[in-house]
Amino acid sequence: MQGGSSGIGYGLKYQARCISDVKADTDHTSFLTGTLSLKEENEVHLLRLSSGGTELICEGLFSHPNEIWDLSSCPFDQRIFSTVFSTGESYGAAIWQIPELYGQLNSPQLERIAALDAHVGKINCVLWWSSGRHDKLVSIDEENIFLWSLDCSNKNAQVQSKQSSGMLHYLSGGAWDPHDVNAVAATCESSVQFWDLRSMGKTNSIEHAHVRNVDYDTKKKHLLVTAADESGIHLWDLRMLKAPIQELPGHTHWTWAVCCNPEYDGFILSAGTDSTVNLWLVSTSNHDELPSESLVESPNQRANSLLNSYSDYEDSVYGLAWSSREPWIFASLSYDGRVRNHMLEK
Amino acid sequence: MSGDEVPLDEKARRMRDLLSSFYGPDPSMSPNPPSKFAPFDAINSNSFNADHYLNLLIHKSSLEGLLQRHVGMAAEIKNLDTDLQMLVYENYNKFISATDAIKRMNSNIMGMESNMEQLLEKIKTVQSRSDGVNTSLFEKREHIEKLHLTRNLLRKVQFIYDLPARLGKCIKSEAYADAVRFYTGAMPIFKAYGDSSFQDCKRASEEAIAIIIKNLQGKLFSDSESIQARAEAAMLLKQLDFPVDSLKEKLFEKLEQSLGDLQLKDEDISRCLLMSNDPSKLENHPESVAATVHEASVQEFVEAVRAYRVIFPDSDKQLIKLAQELVTKNFETGEQYGKKRIRAADLLAVLRMIWKEVLQMDEVLHESVLSEFSLEAVQITVKHHVASRFSHLLHDISDALAKVYVGQKEGMEEFPLQVALGASKKAVLQGSMDILLCFYISAALKLGICHLDFRQLLDDDLELLVKLRESILNWVQEGFQDFFRELHGRFLLLSGRNNSSSQVHGVAEGTQGDRILASLVLVLAQLSVFIEQTAIQRITEANKPPFIFMLEIAASFAGGGIRLYENGPAFVPGEICRSFRSAGEKLLHHYINLRNQRISVLLRKRFTTPNWVKHKEPREVHMFVDLLLQELEAIEKEVKQVLPQGLLRRHQRNDSNGSTNSSRSNPLREGKLSRTNTQKARSQLLETHLAKLFKQKVEIFTKVECTQESVITTIVKFSLKSLQEFVRHQTFNRSGFQQIQLDIQYLRTPLKEAAENEAAIDFLIDEVSVAAAERCLDPIPLEQPILDKLIQAKLTKSLSQSAVSS
Repeated sequence: MQGGSSGIGYGLKYQARCISDVKADTDHTSFLTGTLSLKEENEVHLLRLSSGGTELICEGLFSHPNEIWDLSSCPFDQRIFSTVFSTGESYGAAIWQIPELYGQLNSPQLERIAALDAHVGKINCVLWWSSGRHDKLVSIDEENIFLWSLDCSNKNAQVQSKQSSGMLHYLSGGAWDPHDVNAVAATCESSVQFWDLRSMGKTNSIEHAHVRNVDYDTKKKHLLVTAADESGIHLWDLRMLKAPIQELPGHTHWTWAVCCNPEYDGFILSAGTDSTVNLWLVSTSNHDELPSESLVESPNQRANSLLNSYSDYEDSVYGLAWSSREPWIFASLSYDGRVRNHMLEK
Repeated sequence: MSGDEVPLDEKARRMRDLLSSFYGPDPSMSPNPPSKFAPFDAINSNSFNADHYLNLLIHKSSLEGLLQRHVGMAAEIKNLDTDLQMLVYENYNKFISATDAIKRMNSNIMGMESNMEQLLEKIKTVQSRSDGVNTSLFEKREHIEKLHLTRNLLRKVQFIYDLPARLGKCIKSEAYADAVRFYTGAMPIFKAYGDSSFQDCKRASEEAIAIIIKNLQGKLFSDSESIQARAEAAMLLKQLDFPVDSLKEKLFEKLEQSLGDLQLKDEDISRCLLMSNDPSKLENHPESVAATVHEASVQEFVEAVRAYRVIFPDSDKQLIKLAQELVTKNFETGEQYGKKRIRAADLLAVLRMIWKEVLQMDEVLHESVLSEFSLEAVQITVKHHVASRFSHLLHDISDALAKVYVGQKEGMEEFPLQVALGASKKAVLQGSMDILLCFYISAALKLGICHLDFRQLLDDDLELLVKLRESILNWVQEGFQDFFRELHGRFLLLSGRNNSSSQVHGVAEGTQGDRILASLVLVLAQLSVFIEQTAIQRITEANKPPFIFMLEIAASFAGGGIRLYENGPAFVPGEICRSFRSAGEKLLHHYINLRNQRISVLLRKRFTTPNWVKHKEPREVHMFVDLLLQELEAIEKEVKQVLPQGLLRRHQRNDSNGSTNSSRSNPLREGKLSRTNTQKARSQLLETHLAKLFKQKVEIFTKVECTQESVITTIVKFSLKSLQEFVRHQTFNRSGFQQIQLDIQYLRTPLKEAAENEAAIDFLIDEVSVAAAERCLDPIPLEQPILDKLIQAKLTKSLSQSAVSS
């Protein structure tokens, strides 16, 4: 399998950090992306891959009041998405709905369903449970984890429970286990913490410093991928957290984001600040492999696991999303506001 | 007509039928009932009707045909006549001879009856006479037989009475064999009547036999007697029902005792080594005489074994066991010795000594296959030796590396890393050379054994030797392979352990231990480069001559060594080189990563602690700059100790002198840039994009080489990139932005001095300030004079600090 060297491009007006696959849109391969500009009016772009797969078309352009630090699409309603935004001084998070009939409107306004306004500090992300319709939301700020119950029809979001991460643990992000509706992994400076949403307590943790991004494998239970600044990508078995089951070298500089393919086993995307996106193929079947062996593994094996390195970016790549409709397509977003769509060739 | 078709067959058939009708009376035997198949022309059939046949013939045939038929028939008849005649003649002769024979028989039988009657009469007379003789002789014969029995008995009694005297005579003349023969002959009588009539006799002869046994035993144990005589004595003793086995055991014990003396001891070895090390001293050194004592005792043992074997021919198994025991023990000693740190030559000497003994013993005990047995033992010894050498080597290297820890902790040495690197380099090289030497020697050893063997061993053993040599070669190569593999693994393990511990320490803001580990990784990286580039090459070079050497030997021998090349050498330098190259790269990256982690921690702390949106106006260059520079300095120090200088260094230096001016003009350019930014932030993005497009794309992430400059440059680049990323993650107010501007401006010069690629550093520093401007709500940069003033203040401050500290 070989990745296409140059993908389809689309330029946002401003710098941007986040892109999300619109999972609920089963008819089209669509992505949502939002800009990050302190001083200008920010926008949310709804992009759609043309039927031939040759073009990224802007299907909708909505203005957003503040710069967007995090954006994720609702997994069961294609018109709903969440953003985390910042005015520069303060942070906010909200659930938005794309207005119906926006094609006819001149300047469509996003409809705010609910504001997740219980946060005080810097908000990191809002998480949806990706495996089906679930009326709960998780939002993570630097010090707390919130569990919200969302009522879309009544346009209402209530804090269901809230828990502080504890002293000296500044959270930086997280992921919701697609296999377990009650499990959330949150990253903080020195570890990855696992939370049980029922008791709102920490169940376990991986002591691994500077994890930037985590992603659960949607196909394989118990498999978690983490990306750390300098030390690359690690694959963990949630039942054995002492040591990673596999290590990937990651990027030349920091590894910013990782993404497991929603359909094909072992395909992992990573984006880095060295302006590249790497596609890895790892065999996760040999869980019993000892970590010491993986250390001594020959360099050939390691090189083999890197399938392709996409380097047609000018700036650090922060946004990364597989399409769940066509899982051989992924979108990536570099800081200079350019979206690139790549297709794996079989 | 059928007659025309098969005339010959017809004729032959008819002949046969004729004959069979004559001899075989059964007409049903004829296969074809003629009436059915040949009603008319079958002349031979019983139902042949001549008239009918003739009529038919006349009716059917022409005159010509009839004539022909006639002629044919006439000829046939004639033929039949002659056949008939022939038959008659042949049988007639037989008749005549038969009648003759009958006539003769008749005449002979006539006189036979009278002769028979005469014979009967004569037989009758003979019978009556023989009956007469029988009756007359019967009485006397019985008497004679009795007399004869008595005489034999008397003779035996006489013999027994004479026995003691005779035995005495035998003892005198030492004719023990006769004595034993006599005694054993008399034994049954003694057994039967010994208690009654021949009591005295028995006692006397038993006494004599006791003397004989004593004598024989003495003879058996005396070493002065000839082996033949001793063997005879043993045999005689056995015949006398003497418990020989106990004797055998006694002798055997004696042998075993001498075995104890024979075992190699450390003194022997050291003496032997002394000898082999200084052959010149052999003559005048007193201890060398002592060394030969051992050899002499071996010789003695061999003689004893030989004698024993002749005396007790059925004791081979025991002896072989004994000899093998001895050899095993000796080899064990040798093996123990081989496990110590000794030179290969010493081991060789020891082995040679043992081998000599083995050969001596082998002379005596051919069946024991002692040489093969000991060959195996040699193999094992050498194998162990090779293995232990490699483990020692590994240990040495680990020790050398461990010094990195110790050296740094104590802080005694000025350049601990350099020392450690040097030590481990030396360890690798010398160790491997030593092993190679050992390999040479073992090859030589094999040769030596070969030469010794040639005289004694059969051809089929030759293959064994070749195999042995081959396997030793393989061991050494395998040893190298494994050694390097293990070293590789250990390197990775060391760095891996560092990895995990640095994670622990990373939280604790990089303690001293972390630093040591990072530098260790660096040393390891350089060491693997060294191994890849130098050590392996030298080993392969050194490996070659023995290869050729071995090839020649193999060719000159039975050709058993060819297999060696089919298998291919076990040591694959290419593979090792590859793995070490990759390990070197990996370790280097690891080092850079470790370093960058520390810098990242530093930067993270810097950027996450203050509230940048409410930052106060910059008063001075921030502390973190000092920390960063300190960190870089430490790295530089480490790197300079360990890594080699790049070739481009001097060239780059010259360049940098010229370009410092341009770097001073940079603030202006940057200031301009950011000023325009303030006016049009929107167009700024476009502008930077355009600028990037037109600017020659600066390669930030180039391949890291194993040189000082490359590593330092990479680290500087990475830390600037990290700085940029941190800046991008924050939002600044004007003062925050200005603070960043100031810090970066201060950093610019030292960083450029440290790093090799000025363009890239410039680019990255600009990137940082652009990022800061982008993330600033109100990006108005500091005025140039203020900037200069603050930087100057910082410079003087740090200068005075360094003056105080120095």
